[in-house]
Amino acid sequence: MEIIRTISMVKDYDLGKVKVRALHGIDVSIDSGEFVAIMGPSGSGKSTLMHIIGCLDSPSAGEYYLESDLVSKLPKRTLAGIRNRKIGFVFQSFNLLPHLSILKNVELPLMYSGISARKRKAKALDILDGVGLSDRLKHKPNELSGGQRQRVAIARAIVNDPSILLADEPTGNLDSQAGGDILEIFSNLHKAGNTVIMVTHDPAVASRADRIIKIKDGLVDNGDLA
Amino acid sequence: MAISLSESLHIGFSDIMTRKVRSAVTILGIVLGVMCIMVVLAILSGMNATTLSWMEESGGINKIEVGRNWDYDFSKGGYASLDMYEVNRIRELIPEAKAMNPTLHIWDAQLSNKGTTYDGPCLGVMPDFQIAENWQIGRGRFINLLDLRESSNVIVLGSSVARDLFAGKDPMGQNVSLNGVVFQVIGIMEEKVWMNEAGSMWSGNAMEYLNQRSFIPISVAMNKFGGDKKVDGIQVIAHNPTQALALQQKLKGILLNIKRGKEVFRVSSAQEDMMQMEQNAKIFSMIFVMISVISLLVGGIVIMNIMLASIKERTREIGVRIAVGARRFDIFIQFLVQTVLVTGLGGVLGIVLGCAILDLVGKYLKMPMVANPSMIMTALLVSVGVGLVFGIAPAIKAGNLDPVVALREE
Repeated sequence: MEIIRTISMVKDYDLGKVKVRALHGIDVSIDSGEFVAIMGPSGSGKSTLMHIIGCLDSPSAGEYYLESDLVSKLPKRTLAGIRNRKIGFVFQSFNLLPHLSILKNVELPLMYSGISARKRKAKALDILDGVGLSDRLKHKPNELSGGQRQRVAIARAIVNDPSILLADEPTGNLDSQAGGDILEIFSNLHKAGNTVIMVTHDPAVASRADRIIKIKDGLVDNGDLA
Repeated sequence: MAISLSESLHIGFSDIMTRKVRSAVTILGIVLGVMCIMVVLAILSGMNATTLSWMEESGGINKIEVGRNWDYDFSKGGYASLDMYEVNRIRELIPEAKAMNPTLHIWDAQLSNKGTTYDGPCLGVMPDFQIAENWQIGRGRFINLLDLRESSNVIVLGSSVARDLFAGKDPMGQNVSLNGVVFQVIGIMEEKVWMNEAGSMWSGNAMEYLNQRSFIPISVAMNKFGGDKKVDGIQVIAHNPTQALALQQKLKGILLNIKRGKEVFRVSSAQEDMMQMEQNAKIFSMIFVMISVISLLVGGIVIMNIMLASIKERTREIGVRIAVGARRFDIFIQFLVQTVLVTGLGGVLGIVLGCAILDLVGKYLKMPMVANPSMIMTALLVSVGVGLVFGIAPAIKAGNLDPVVALREE
């Protein structure tokens, strides 16, 4: 089943006097349950594509359908709800909140879902147990190793049972050992039925995916259309 | 799907706790501003309480006094005195008054008892004097209508007069000589005392001068001492403050009539004095409240700047929150609540400190300082209000951040 479809999607950035076109008309389609790697050199527009897929940004032209909803037609408050329930983000630099404990970091998406404190804690504990961090609950992110932090970030991304897991260079800040562990987690999540979309420039990392979408100069390079 | 207020409060509170030093510096301005408001309001209410208790002790707020108009140029003719016929006429014209008492001052009175002398003013009065001055008799009785009609040589002594003249012996029924005329002591007034709770603005008893007076029937004073047999003052007591103001106007008219348009008398009412004092207090309090408000505004601007800087620093956090599903409104509320919490906390601290220093300030100013619930409410509302006003701009800024840009921020 198709979960994501973009049609001639364009993104322009207005930098005052000049307009920069980051996406030149992207057509991609991703099915539910796929593990897709988006590859491309720096500046190719892959992060922009991911931000739009994650509803953090909106296209300047073209169409983006998420679960057959035309996203550009949705009101902003609905987008917040989509980010909260349907999308899980994993970033290169982890992006954990430094003043919150591991547990509170993982609870964060559930808080914005309006779930009660007791249920949040139970759910977060369960997920943290799954990534092997149940002995670090009260720690602050800076008390953990990079690999552990990324596992916390993954726990946060999946705690609300999203339909899509979006990872932007998730192993970029990790050594190969920790990076391998993280990729193993993504593989397992994929096997469990999750849709995983991973942005990377590392072919070794991309090889873990079912399919690679290459982006170059704001266009899909391998013409891999469904 | 919005996060609840208690959730926002929780986030705000833990934000404050993780940045303790910054929060402490942030709220300093508010703490001082609120403290200032507390002290000013306490001074004002203390002043009002002092004024009211003075008024009460000197005859109450229903009192109207007629006396010499010191602003009048007596070279234009006229005398600030009334004869008994005129006094009676005035009484007939104001039947609605609760009491009226004319007085005749014998300023050069000297009392003597077996060689001991006492210099102090003696007043010729009527029985209504007691009502007019709100003054009880301590022992014996006061001058009555019979004394007045018979022109009896009877005298009522102030407590200090009695003490000094009789040196511990019982003055009741004894004879004293007033400027050579023999009078029998029929009563002693209760001692008038008016002290401030916290020491006194004046040293000692502010009403001691009243205890140094003695009183005889006005008819006797006219016949035996008043060279021109004239009354030099009248006190009138109304039934209520509103009537007092009306009576004051009426008396002015009556006196102008009697004195053929010459304003030789001044008619003042406690009510009018009090309104004047309230007016003064209002101006005074406006000035101080304005100063306090300015200090709070400065505190608010400081807070706004710190919040703006804090949002700049926390841009990435905001980006992350948006990425995991926070709405712009959630972010807006988070920062607004945090600012309000900071100022509210500052308000509470200011109130606590304000109450703590009230005693000190009270002792220094030698007046009672009173903290009441409405002051505390005012201080609290003002501090929360400052947070709302100065929290809006930073909160809007935070809520409008572009998440993509925010996430890129280092």
